Amino acid sequence: MITQNMINVEHLEPSDISSQSPLWWGQVCIVAIEATMFSILMAAYFYVRLSVDVWPPAGDQFPHTLLPSIALLPLILSAFGSYWASQAAKKNDRTGMLLGMGLNIILATVFFVMRIIEWHSLNFNWQTDAQGSYVWAFLGLHSFDYVADLAFTIVLFFIVLSGRYAEKQRLGVHVDSVVWYFIVAIWIPIYVVIYWGPQIVETQ
Amino acid sequence: MTKRNGEKGAGLKGAVFCAYAFVLFDACAGHQQSAVDPAGPQSGKIAVLWWFFFGLLTTIFLIVMVFTLLTLTRRGHRSGQEPLNASHLPPGADEKELTRIVAAATIATVLILFVLLIASVSTGKSISELGDKKNGMVIEVTGNQWWWHVRYWNDDPSQMLVTANEIHIPTGRPVMIRGMSQDVIHSFWVPNLHGKRDLIPSRVTTEWIEADQPGIYRGQCAEYCGLQHAHMALWVIAEPQAKFDSWMKHQLRPASPPGGPTGERGKQIFLNSACIYCHSIRGTAAGGQTGPDLTHFGSRRSIAAGTLPNTIGNLGGWITDPQGIKPGTHMATIPVSSEDLQPLLEYIEGLK
Amino acid sequence: MNQTEPIPNSSEREAQALRDLENSWQTPRGMIGWLSCTTHQAIGMRYIVTAFIFLLAGGIEALLIRLQLALPNNTLLGPDRYNEIFTTHGTTMMFLFAVPMMEGMAVYLVPLMLGTRNVAFPRLNAFGYWIYLAGAIFLYWGVFTNTAPDAGWFSYPPLSGPAYSPGKRVDFWAQMITFTEVSAMCVASELIATIFKMRAPGMSLNRIPLYCWSMLVQSFMVIFAMPAVMIASSYLLSDRTVGTHFVNPAEGGDPLLYQHVFWLFGHPEVYIIFIPALGFVSSIVTANSRREIFGYPGMVLSIVATGFIAFGLWVHHMFATGLPQIGEAYFTAASMMIAVTSGVQIFCWIATLWTGRLRMTAALHFVFGFIAIFVLGGLTGVILASVSLDVQVHDTFFVVAHFHYVLIGGALFPLFGAFYHWFPKITGRLMNEAVGKLNFWILFIGFNLTFFPMHILGLKGMTRRIYTYGSEMGWELGNILATIGAFIIAAGGVVFLINIFLSRNRGEIAGDNPWDADSFEWAAASPPKSYNFEYLPVATSRYPLWVAASERTFVTGLRNDRREVLVTTLMDAEPHHRLVLPRSSLWPLLTALAVTIGFIGSVFNAWYITYGSILTGLAFVGWFWPRLPVETKP
Repeated sequence: MITQNMINVEHLEPSDISSQSPLWWGQVCIVAIEATMFSILMAAYFYVRLSVDVWPPAGDQFPHTLLPSIALLPLILSAFGSYWASQAAKKNDRTGMLLGMGLNIILATVFFVMRIIEWHSLNFNWQTDAQGSYVWAFLGLHSFDYVADLAFTIVLFFIVLSGRYAEKQRLGVHVDSVVWYFIVAIWIPIYVVIYWGPQIVETQ
Repeated sequence: MTKRNGEKGAGLKGAVFCAYAFVLFDACAGHQQSAVDPAGPQSGKIAVLWWFFFGLLTTIFLIVMVFTLLTLTRRGHRSGQEPLNASHLPPGADEKELTRIVAAATIATVLILFVLLIASVSTGKSISELGDKKNGMVIEVTGNQWWWHVRYWNDDPSQMLVTANEIHIPTGRPVMIRGMSQDVIHSFWVPNLHGKRDLIPSRVTTEWIEADQPGIYRGQCAEYCGLQHAHMALWVIAEPQAKFDSWMKHQLRPASPPGGPTGERGKQIFLNSACIYCHSIRGTAAGGQTGPDLTHFGSRRSIAAGTLPNTIGNLGGWITDPQGIKPGTHMATIPVSSEDLQPLLEYIEGLK
Repeated sequence: MNQTEPIPNSSEREAQALRDLENSWQTPRGMIGWLSCTTHQAIGMRYIVTAFIFLLAGGIEALLIRLQLALPNNTLLGPDRYNEIFTTHGTTMMFLFAVPMMEGMAVYLVPLMLGTRNVAFPRLNAFGYWIYLAGAIFLYWGVFTNTAPDAGWFSYPPLSGPAYSPGKRVDFWAQMITFTEVSAMCVASELIATIFKMRAPGMSLNRIPLYCWSMLVQSFMVIFAMPAVMIASSYLLSDRTVGTHFVNPAEGGDPLLYQHVFWLFGHPEVYIIFIPALGFVSSIVTANSRREIFGYPGMVLSIVATGFIAFGLWVHHMFATGLPQIGEAYFTAASMMIAVTSGVQIFCWIATLWTGRLRMTAALHFVFGFIAIFVLGGLTGVILASVSLDVQVHDTFFVVAHFHYVLIGGALFPLFGAFYHWFPKITGRLMNEAVGKLNFWILFIGFNLTFFPMHILGLKGMTRRIYTYGSEMGWELGNILATIGAFIIAAGGVVFLINIFLSRNRGEIAGDNPWDADSFEWAAASPPKSYNFEYLPVATSRYPLWVAASERTFVTGLRNDRREVLVTTLMDAEPHHRLVLPRSSLWPLLTALAVTIGFIGSVFNAWYITYGSILTGLAFVGWFWPRLPVETKP
């Protein structure tokens, strides 16, 4: 079978931590799915909001905007922790990965505590009316993604901490950061919709 | 092999011929519920558009099929030819010519679609302009599982007529159907007059219909609405203005009193039964709102939204066993003893 | 290759390499092995066989529908049973047959056509299949326990809402959607990654086989369309189970919003089913015209354009709801535009056939049937794009005829063609061609007899989804013809099954490339080995097997003692790095079980979402946990 028409690939790396990896593309697909889902939900929210005159519906108080706005700070900073970890993963820098992920985990937890406090202060729930259903859906779905990826980051943290890791796990750290950027980024339009959307309509 | 090709050609031609025969035959036949048998300006314009589309698209279909089948006959001429040697490509000149032909066909497709688009949009526009007339009347149609609540709008509330499952309209006069729904989504469709319009809870939809000449047209709920979607029909009866006016005048009157002692007994049976919780008969104590109004029930063509022709026998069957006739209907089975049934039927059928 | 062992001569080394390949790619024997299998051929076959069983189930439901409608005032089925059966028929055909069948064919064929050894995410692939299977069993569990859905395959609220559909019927339907969508998204993601990153070296974008192009576009459509239906079904499910008001008009929700979201998925869905079929047709036409496909760039552009335009025309399903006129004109124009992209492809195929050297195989018969039926269905689609005409024929049997013409003509005929075309690759034996042609004619005649009269029934006012009709309506002739036709189609199905079973055991031995076709799957053995290719092939042309044997090129230097494949660059497919794919694993099955517990449980008790999430999270940790000892050898 050995003929002269052969391409030898023996010299190529047996793995790769970059956007050349199929796994990176797989994560991009998942991000695209989630982004589409949230976009449709936001469009639906505006469709419902524009079909009625009074918003939020009578009885629902305006959501507070102070705490959620402050909470953006730790959230956005957590993405930098994630970035740090992913760069360290490329260089196989164990300390960098641990510090980056650690920062990410701490800041993400701070944000989430602030979200829970704010969430509790809402005077409506998903059963109250359509606005309640949407706000709870946004918060619920985003929190679901958020907690899932946070848990995954914690698991990766302990895998790296244990020292039993190879290229695959480093690639895991890298693509985990892709998902985390998305989770941070998608929150910003959702935050605008939930907390500022009703106010903007009111002033018009 | 050539024989098989012949068969295929014959089969296709036969199918196309049948298509023409079927549809053309149908258009001349005259039906009470047909989209290609128009009886009003709206459906008339749609039918003209339909025949235009039909003619053009059939021609396109035939042309594409001819070329598809010709590829088979070309093969016959070259039978025994081996694969296109090593290149798997025909001579370059062929390809160039093919490119030109395919490009031309694509441009033709775009142009034809453009013509169809203009025809479609302009028909839609001219249909929507039909309604803007001063002498139009408004009829509110509310869909219910599985019957139609009908109310004739009038500035004077005492002249607002409520009836069910049967709409009388004057010929030559535009009528706006204000569509609503009490429960799920229904769709109002009387094909001889116009296309369908959905009746959606929490919304009001509108559609203008008009009948050119007197006639009886059947309509049917077109949006799946549950168990008895199949039995949710209505009749539109178009009649000259004078006849319509006298019908309206009669319908606005309260129910006529029973003709004889049997009828009078039937009335008492009705008023003392659970019937009155759902049905109204104006001029009596019966004022239920959840079922069809029965004030002039005897004058209507059918029972249970077009399920049965309105005869005394059918009504008896319907009252004694509604679930047997229209399984799932919300009409309750009210026990009526056998000696009470005849007077009851006589009374209801007497509500002309 | 392994340098440490002394290897005496090259033929011995070859044999050792093959043994290594066999060992590293083989699935363990026994039940556990079967459950943990992650090879694409096996998973693809599971999809195909399972989806075929649901085609038969949906077909039996169709026959029951036709029997009920054969005569006026028929009482074979009551309204409740009839509504369950037509809902289950539509749901089965769309979600349990058509999409999974197309996914399964792609899972089987795409890695072979690209010249690689597996899909990019073999375990996700297995997970997707288990989830699909769980969703399918879930729906049919409902069907057999008198909990079949009965609100139609698009379940419009408020009819499907808690007030008008009490019980669990619609919940089963909505959650089955979630299952099948998760499965479709898994396959879509892995196909995109595979087609982007695992093509044979040299297979630059302009050399990708048209079938793989169509699967790439289809996968992107899945990614952008399926979230919409998940939202629609979640609206319904949460309104029904936890009392939200997404589509409840009484509390500010909107039933029309459901229709918008559903059709934002529902229209692309038609193309998700139909675009893979375009790929089948291109493969069959190329192989059996024995010439290069005419207009490859135009074909690719039209597939991509179809993918885009398909997202811009959902509103033509809602013309009867009464929308502003300017919006209607836009959606009419967009709906007509898609006829151009379909037209270009039809023209290119005809041009290819025109100048080719046709070999009238059974597969090519199905292609001719496809062109006839699909063109007719496409033209009636132009009628539906016109608002004025649509309001007359919408929700009538005209529409039923139309979508059976485009779906059966556009997808099922090419699929049967594909079965005849690739059966020898999958089994190693040819199907009987004469029986195949007979099979085609029975299906073609039966199909037209069933569905052509429905156009006329629709124009004569016969609405969809009615369980019976009166004899005064003048609909008897069309209905009895349709019922006879349906049984002819069923006979065609029986002929196909007989052909499959006979050919499987007694068919002529096919060899690697019985059709002298052009793409890489025909370079693999028939049936393919679990590693597909001993040496990965290199694409030196758009039609790599039509290149002279002396000019074919192969890849060497991949390790055989583990599941190694080659990753190439996105545009030009230059070799970039090697990738080790996972072996067999039970985690996909266990994770699927955890997800299933969450999905099914939440239909009865919302807390199961939490329980299911925790179990799934644990299963994922197991899935990703590094295997010890960690392999560090390059």
